[in-house]
Amino acid sequence: MRRVAVIGVGVTKFGKHERTCAELFAEAAADAIQDAGVSPRTIQAIYFGNVVGGEGERQLHMGPQAGSVLGLPAVPTTRFETACATSHSAFRHAVMEVGAGISDVVLVGGAERVLNLPTDVATEYFAFASDAVFEQSTGITFPGVFALIARAHMTKHGTTEEQMAHVAVKNHRHGALNPKAQFQKEITIEDVLASAKVADPLKLYDCCPFTDGAAALVVAAVDVARKSRNPIWVLSSAAASDSMCLHDKKDLSRALATERAAQAAYRQAGRGPEDVDVVELHDCFTIAEIVATEGLGFFEPGTGGIAAEKGWTSLGGKLPVNPSGGLKAKGHPIGATGAAQIAEIVTQLRGEADPRQVDGARVGLAHTLGGNAATVLVSLFGSE
Amino acid sequence: MSKVITLKAFFEEARAGRLTGIRCGRCGELAIPPKEFCPACHERAWEPVPLVGHGAIASFTVIRIPPRGRAADSPYAVALVRLDEGVSLLGRIVDIPLDALKVGLPVRFRPLLQQDQTVVGFGPA
Ligand SMILES: [Zn+2]
Repeated sequence: MRRVAVIGVGVTKFGKHERTCAELFAEAAADAIQDAGVSPRTIQAIYFGNVVGGEGERQLHMGPQAGSVLGLPAVPTTRFETACATSHSAFRHAVMEVGAGISDVVLVGGAERVLNLPTDVATEYFAFASDAVFEQSTGITFPGVFALIARAHMTKHGTTEEQMAHVAVKNHRHGALNPKAQFQKEITIEDVLASAKVADPLKLYDCCPFTDGAAALVVAAVDVARKSRNPIWVLSSAAASDSMCLHDKKDLSRALATERAAQAAYRQAGRGPEDVDVVELHDCFTIAEIVATEGLGFFEPGTGGIAAEKGWTSLGGKLPVNPSGGLKAKGHPIGATGAAQIAEIVTQLRGEADPRQVDGARVGLAHTLGGNAATVLVSLFGSE
Repeated sequence: MSKVITLKAFFEEARAGRLTGIRCGRCGELAIPPKEFCPACHERAWEPVPLVGHGAIASFTVIRIPPRGRAADSPYAVALVRLDEGVSLLGRIVDIPLDALKVGLPVRFRPLLQQDQTVVGFGPA
């Protein structure tokens, strides 16, 4: 495999948009190509992610549509879907295509738009990522799935609702420093604990919002990357799966796919959790951040809640997690989330994330989880 | 030779009040169908086994922001139930007050009918 780098990033404002997924992606992609400093004609493939466009926009075949709106109608496109991990899956495949020498420059990213839908319809579409026959039929929702995980973690480890609230407060504090974030306001522990119940024990402020937005990355081979202004190197990119149905998972308090993907990513990169300076991970719900910080090897099983409470994962703490604000405050346009997380890691490793810069960050990790924790991607990045 | 229990067969039996598991003829792994290979040993030698339908709540939630079409039911509880035989199933909780729910509470399988669809439910043991 050739060395591969991310040489350009683009992210739209996250929040509500009137434009289509293809338009949003095209904006992020054009920004990424200009950030990379390459001509649009160097793009040899487009790997595009979207999840609910078939339902939300009555639009399939979004890949060539996105390429057309971008102004690159002749570039081959492929659409990816792995629920909330979608554009991180697309990224891993772009890295493989470039690393294998098939293409020198690949554009990768994703877009999502759900705020045009009523809440109950968006809730229904998100639940499509759980098993239709065994799970959707019971009326379970996505907050419901993570509520089951939260209660399992609370029962096994004594994790508290206050500890989960610390994750929300921290990510809102970080999001207030990110002009692209959907929410740029700080909240308190009391706000979280007093917020409306969504799926017990999860409350409104334990949950990420519905979000429209897009993100894009330019992935390039070593020879192209060396000529770019500030390449960030892909040290590894790994995927793992776990059983689709909750009833097949061996331990609801753990994310086995996170553990498997992390082990593979560390092994490929020749690094370990102790080498990581900055993390963007999948905090679709506050409990998800706690479980992920354990599964990625940063904290012992059962202690992720304590780490959040003690501020270890805050900017200025021993391991800053989600300096962008995370899915919780930055927002979660599901098909764009993986690419947006990677864009933040690239920005951090370039040293361009002021005022939320993690000082001296040289190695970063992005973690994206899809569906009932059945798909997980973990990638490691380095400034050299 | 493997006896495949299809989803259709599983839910037809469930509608009649009977839960069906599958046991691996090689390693003894017990699972919820449908599956072709045994995830534990990769043999293809399943035999159907009846499950008595009794278990205990392993985790539960109360859904207060429901998906489209379920507002009339809300709030309602969904639980992951660990059956006595050692496998788990997700199901809708019925006839148990929401404030009586707790991890470890014994429950019994009960088929629920939604239009033509059979849904896994659990009621008092
Ligand atoms: Zn077996």
